[in-house]
Amino acid sequence: MELKPIITVNDLHFSYPKRPVLEGIDFTLRRGEVVSLLGPNGCGKSTLIRLILKLIHASQGEIWLNEKTLHRYSHREIAEHIAYIPQYNNVPFNYSVIEMVIMGRISKLGFFAAPSASDYTIAHEALERVGISDLASRPFGQLSGGQKQMVLLARALTQGVDTFIMDEPVSGLDYGNQIRLLELIVSLSSQGYTFLKTTHYPDHALLVSSRVAVMNGGKIIADGLPEEVITPEMIRSVYGIEADLIVHDTHIRCLPIFNKGTL
Amino acid sequence: MKNIKPISWIIGSTLLLIVVATLSLLWGQYPITLDTLISYLQFKAFGGAGNDTYTMLDNIILQIRLPRVLLAILIGSALATSGAAFQAMFVNPLVSPGILGVLAGASFGAAMGMLISDQWFVVQLLAFAFGFVAVGVAVLIGTMVTNSRSTVMLVLGGVISSALFTSMLSIIKYLADPYSTLPAIVYWLMGSLTMADLHGVLLICVPMLASVIGLIVLGKYFDLMSLGDEEAKALGINVTMVRLGAIILATIASSLSVVMAGIIGWIGLIIPHIIRMAVGPSHRLLMPLSAIVGGAFLLLADTISRLAFSVEVPIGILTSLIGIPVFIIVLKNARAAWN
Repeated sequence: MELKPIITVNDLHFSYPKRPVLEGIDFTLRRGEVVSLLGPNGCGKSTLIRLILKLIHASQGEIWLNEKTLHRYSHREIAEHIAYIPQYNNVPFNYSVIEMVIMGRISKLGFFAAPSASDYTIAHEALERVGISDLASRPFGQLSGGQKQMVLLARALTQGVDTFIMDEPVSGLDYGNQIRLLELIVSLSSQGYTFLKTTHYPDHALLVSSRVAVMNGGKIIADGLPEEVITPEMIRSVYGIEADLIVHDTHIRCLPIFNKGTL
Repeated sequence: MKNIKPISWIIGSTLLLIVVATLSLLWGQYPITLDTLISYLQFKAFGGAGNDTYTMLDNIILQIRLPRVLLAILIGSALATSGAAFQAMFVNPLVSPGILGVLAGASFGAAMGMLISDQWFVVQLLAFAFGFVAVGVAVLIGTMVTNSRSTVMLVLGGVISSALFTSMLSIIKYLADPYSTLPAIVYWLMGSLTMADLHGVLLICVPMLASVIGLIVLGKYFDLMSLGDEEAKALGINVTMVRLGAIILATIASSLSVVMAGIIGWIGLIIPHIIRMAVGPSHRLLMPLSAIVGGAFLLLADTISRLAFSVEVPIGILTSLIGIPVFIIVLKNARAAWN
């Protein structure tokens, strides 16, 4: 059975002055999928995500969110459908973890309303789900990169939506936190959440994705099942390196081939 | 201190404000005892047999001290909440209410009013109007130069606008009569609450209070605004409207403070820092506490300026003299509250 589309992108173009970034993107995110956008630096992955979140505007083409085109949604209405998890970064004021997480409830609050006790309950439950409930009163700025990323994921959970968009979620995380975050994505996916995430790692895309879209030069050059899309030929053509695909513990893994002394 | 409940902070700071306000009403060249004040208030509230003392207190309290107390509270609140709002909006803890040029513009307007008219009303009107003109120029430059809504361009627009109106203020000073108008302009720019009159204070208290309350209501959005525009939008905030609302409210509040009392610096910068150190950075508590403590701080400074010296020191000088060492202490400890 065909899964119901959440986001549909038709013939999308985007340019900065004198520099085209996206050239005719067609893409669909369906309910229940975990889709990885894979591609080298500057290929337009983050731009596509920013367009889908209406943070920037396309020069041509259209984006549909459920039944309506994106320009008919306010940011508040988009936040009622999609949660965005940016790469963690420093914030100028050192909010506590619970203050960061409760910000996910803002789209649910009336103009004069403050977060209620039930909003705080939802926020604490979200912290529990990502396994950091003991950090609730800690200052966000004093957390490790991995903990910060978990806080942002908890904030997304408090938004009460089932579609998450993540921009390079493992960027800057240590090896263990990278794997823990990927495991959490798989776990949430099994509970019905939909993910669209950008990644630099073909191996991570193979581990967690139900579908992979490969971008290069502002276009989607391949879109399909991870094991069909991620091939040594694709790695060579997109990244200019050789890689082997091996099977380990039922998973197909991607290993780059390291050539010593090639320079 | 962060374990204290928000409501306790609000109640505690309100009590502090009441104490400072009471002391300010009692202390002065003609000291009044608390008993006298209470019996006077009872007389005003419930009536009864009046006497000569009450007639004199009518003059001292209602005409002189009460307007000044109310004005100090209003201006302190306005500047502190405007500063806190701008610090969040520009994602920079070192921003003060004058960042978009409102103080420079209002100063120019007031000085021009003094140059072209004898009417105090004209001075006030021009001060208020040019506060808005200066902010309008900053916003125009900020959005036109790069056609972007980035806050960096807005800040640069504010720098340009401030420089422009400061230059024009210099022209006014240069043209002003050096024996009458120029001293008036210079003295007025030092900031003073001596012009407070009950009628004027009651007139401006509505827009000023409305601006302060508006900024407090927007407080819950400032937490998100301080994460940057894109994150705030993705969390469901109409960033443009919140920013526009905050700029308009802060400009009304700051312009009116210049209209009534000239330039009073540092409050918008240091009060939010002090509050952040005590209760953390969340703007839902920071904004109302900034309003209350900002009011109490300026009132205390004004009371000191009235009493501590044989000649009344302009309040703008005193807030600077108090503000600078406080800011140095605050900076030393502030790293915990902002990264």
